[in-house]
Amino acid sequence: MSNIATYIQRTPLFGSMFRIDKSTGLEDINAWPSLMIMTSFIWLAVAGWLGMVMPVTQILGMQSNWFYMALTAHGAALAFPFLFQLMVGISLHRAGSCLGKPVTGIISALIYCFMNLGALLLTVAILGGLNISYAVMYPLPVVGVELGQWSMDVVILGFTGLALVLVSVILLYPIQVIRMLFFGSAQEELLLMPRTLRDPSMLGMAMAAFVLLVMGTPILTVAGTVLLGLYGIVPMAAISWATEPAVFQFAFWMFAHNLMEAMAIMVVSALYGTLPLYLADGTKKLYSDRLANLALWILLITSVTSFFHHFFTMFPALPSTLAYHGNIMSFGTGLGAAVTIFTVLATIWKHGIRPGAALMAVLMGFVLYILDGVSAIITSNVAWSFQLHGTMWAGGHTMAVLAAMSLMWIGVLCHHYPVMTGRKLSDKLGYYFVALYTVGAMGSAFAMLAGGAAGMPRRFADWNQEGWMIYGVLILIFGLIITASLLVFAYQLLKSEDIPDAVDTVT
Amino acid sequence: MFDFLYQSGWGAFVAMLFFQLPFLVVFLYVVYRKAFTDPSPSDIDDKRISRLDVLWLTVTIVLFTGVNLASVGYMPTILTAEATSSEIDIQDIDVTAQSWSYAISERQLLVGRPVRFLVKSADTVHGFAVYHPDGRILFTLMMIPGMQESSIIHTFTEPGEYKVRCLEYCGVAHHLMQDKLIVATSDD
Repeated sequence: MSNIATYIQRTPLFGSMFRIDKSTGLEDINAWPSLMIMTSFIWLAVAGWLGMVMPVTQILGMQSNWFYMALTAHGAALAFPFLFQLMVGISLHRAGSCLGKPVTGIISALIYCFMNLGALLLTVAILGGLNISYAVMYPLPVVGVELGQWSMDVVILGFTGLALVLVSVILLYPIQVIRMLFFGSAQEELLLMPRTLRDPSMLGMAMAAFVLLVMGTPILTVAGTVLLGLYGIVPMAAISWATEPAVFQFAFWMFAHNLMEAMAIMVVSALYGTLPLYLADGTKKLYSDRLANLALWILLITSVTSFFHHFFTMFPALPSTLAYHGNIMSFGTGLGAAVTIFTVLATIWKHGIRPGAALMAVLMGFVLYILDGVSAIITSNVAWSFQLHGTMWAGGHTMAVLAAMSLMWIGVLCHHYPVMTGRKLSDKLGYYFVALYTVGAMGSAFAMLAGGAAGMPRRFADWNQEGWMIYGVLILIFGLIITASLLVFAYQLLKSEDIPDAVDTVT
Repeated sequence: MFDFLYQSGWGAFVAMLFFQLPFLVVFLYVVYRKAFTDPSPSDIDDKRISRLDVLWLTVTIVLFTGVNLASVGYMPTILTAEATSSEIDIQDIDVTAQSWSYAISERQLLVGRPVRFLVKSADTVHGFAVYHPDGRILFTLMMIPGMQESSIIHTFTEPGEYKVRCLEYCGVAHHLMQDKLIVATSDD
């Protein structure tokens, strides 16, 4: 553990933001999480810069390869090594402090190594020309080789990286969570805020772990098999069942959609855990735990099979039954969100809140999450999908949900920051960050959604067709506002002040 | 009104705002009031909150159900059934997408005559989106190689040049994968 703390300390710039306080004796729940969180923000810096590159390449009329490279790298860096790793770090710290279990050992190390090594290999492959978007678009990787767009070497490198990331996401992280939830004894010195699985703030964590494990195993199997074929360990002819495009596509979206839903269930769970700690009357209770848990169960059950909405426009290749089912389930997730909205508002109205920047980040992130959710269920209607699928609407929805969850998790991080680092954050700077981020995220989301409504395609290197450039310029402007907000956040972390009795702040 | 709502991207945008704006107003009002104006607990009994909860969920379910039921007439299965049950002869057009062009069996179409597009991909995932001359999308299809053809029946109601674009990222020349359909009246 001391090695990790030293490693964090020695990391330029980012180390100063996330160095941990060894004097609390909580290294066992702080060290690996802090390292994961710090590394996630390094990836955010990379992803953010790439996000800016995309509209700039279009506005300056640069070669389309640059756009597609930035597109692929931005998506890949944002989704996994940034947001998922941020979530992993914060959630493991929460699990540790709520269950009294250490975040140590080989599994924690492997989660970190597989995620970041995998992301690094994937990034190298992308820089080597593997421009396949972060959705892989199989069989594009192989077809691209046949058409001379990129080499087989970068395909093998990219798939290797992807496989390592998937193992971290689908196997290692869920195993660690399940291990902490169901096995081992609690250590009193780590138990800062005891919670059980009946608590909405822990139930979501368990749900997410099982969703990732169950819905991710098919793609892990398929992708792993393809990788064995690419390495020549098994003949490709023997694994044609895995290399069929339809097999990969369905396994991929079954996982990818549920990955997002699992992250959403986790962050809603974290909202349920954080909000009560800021109530004005000090009760520290949600309006109704039962209602909160009901929302999580609805979200879980409806999200698992809503992934068919990725295939609506393949009519009639996708049987209508499955299309209607996907439509109904997708709107079902909206019902789960409606229950959450009521629980949050009822809690706030009944108990009052003590405002703080961390809470505002969580609540504004929730606002963005719901606004995005509406755009998502609109396009998950079969009829609307035939107008919107493949347009910037879909891209806008993806960006908005990631931005929303990022803000919520940053809010939760800010709440736990004193315990992890022994330092407090400036509320004033925090408010500036939340305000700027909310404006930037909302603006870029609506710019993308409007572009999609106007027929602007996503993943498309020519915004000058049909006058779509105006949307591109708006996306850049609001993207710059998001960047400004993150610089404020970084400054807030760098200016954090030492405090005594940091442990008391989390409860 | 329903044609605008369900057959254009801007209709979807309006529907989205219909759900978003009330939520935004109410949520921000509650948060602002209880955080900055009057953070003290409210004197409200749980029975009243419960009644509000039932009302809120009922309204949500009614709106969700209504929005989806109203869309049924615009789903491909219904459009296909309507076209096939009419006595008008349907023109079949075969389309094969391959990086980065389309092989379309017939590009000259007639106003008022239903057209069934049967679209497949020869290599990777492609899209087949038809744009109205004014720039809006009429419909979009997705094709995965090796799977059954995607198809849709559409009746063009105005003459003009309709662009076709691929909306599924398919490689370095994805943005150049385009074609066009010419729709004319029977007199032309």
